[in-house]
Amino acid sequence: MEDAQSQTYDITIIGGGPVGLFTAFYAGMRQLSVKIIESLPHLGGQLSALYPEKYIYDIAGFPKVKAQDLVDQLLEQANYFNPAVSLGEQVETLVKQEDDIIKMTTNEGAHYTRTVILTAGNGAFSPRKLKLDDAEKYEGTNLHYFVDDLSKFKDKNVLLFGGGDSAVDWALMLEPIADKVTIAHRRDKFRAHEHSVEQLFNSSINIKTPYTPERLIGDEDGIQQAVIQHSKNESEKLTLDVDDVIVNFGFLSSLGPMKEWGLDIRKNSIVVNSKMETNIPGVYAAGDICTYDGKVKLIATGFGEAPTAVNNAKSYIDPKAKVQPLHSTSIFA
Amino acid sequence: MAKYTMVDKDTCIACGACGATAPELFGYDDEGLAEALLDNNQGTEAVEEDLEEDLLDAEEGCPTESIKVSDEPFPSTVEA
Repeated sequence: MEDAQSQTYDITIIGGGPVGLFTAFYAGMRQLSVKIIESLPHLGGQLSALYPEKYIYDIAGFPKVKAQDLVDQLLEQANYFNPAVSLGEQVETLVKQEDDIIKMTTNEGAHYTRTVILTAGNGAFSPRKLKLDDAEKYEGTNLHYFVDDLSKFKDKNVLLFGGGDSAVDWALMLEPIADKVTIAHRRDKFRAHEHSVEQLFNSSINIKTPYTPERLIGDEDGIQQAVIQHSKNESEKLTLDVDDVIVNFGFLSSLGPMKEWGLDIRKNSIVVNSKMETNIPGVYAAGDICTYDGKVKLIATGFGEAPTAVNNAKSYIDPKAKVQPLHSTSIFA
Repeated sequence: MAKYTMVDKDTCIACGACGATAPELFGYDDEGLAEALLDNNQGTEAVEEDLEEDLLDAEEGCPTESIKVSDEPFPSTVEA
């Protein structure tokens, strides 16, 4: 991952889902410098976040392909040209400067680019938060919605909330590292791979079901205790000492700040013309986030819109460049 | 307590998460948008008790909070 926030890229792709990844490859093939900005800490969009294990049957050339496998293939393809990648950043503002360079600000800082291709699907993903009073104040200390660095939890007493694949996988990964791992879930049944659930029940992980979070007790240094409540019997409560709390309740997506950028938005989609241009010159859109007469929201159509957007962006940056590219068979030969 | 459900199609993004989580409860219309199978997405018929846990999982898994769940039937939008 390249860190060059001050560098001005030819194309910045907002949204690292399947269409964003193919856009990155294609822009690289057209010798444009590329940066991808993604709100989640990983690439792959909906495919990785919502249904990594589901099969997709309508990708050209793949009779059937598992969503995560498709992402892995797209990553390999995009990495042909080593795009810069900024993960865990949500673009908050997008403004065209007097010199025609577009400045974007995220929760982390500023990014500069000649053109933007929006491939943000249904908007930025954010984790579904714990709906408890004052949960937010612990976000800077020991309440976590992602596990990026397992070593942070070494010898800690960790409480996990959630019952899906990620929650179970994280619990299993933490078991050998943490001092103690507890997983609490609203129902007795975990919605995760049978094999992982079997591993969970055979592990030393403390399983609390059916329990839901009721209250967090702590101070400015973080949460010290969590009170959990039996799902079916509200008077049955347990108070657990904790060093860290990890919540995995899935994701929410929304267009969010994108609505304030002056784009023509209809029904939560961005209007584009046949060049995939939005109403802001230099800003393009492809995939589920864009709309036009006859638009069909499929990965397959997004894969077609990506080269249209890139080739037109190329000719916007360099009016002498041809919109119609050479065939890849001759470029890579 | 009985549970009732319907999908808000204005906010549904057709991601397919609910149908994968609770295939007995949620299907899709011609546009791929989700709908409650039980009562043609009216939310007027109680969900079978055996499926209530799946319903809550689907509600929690929906990335746009489009799956509506209530302890009361939703007001009918279809003329009787």
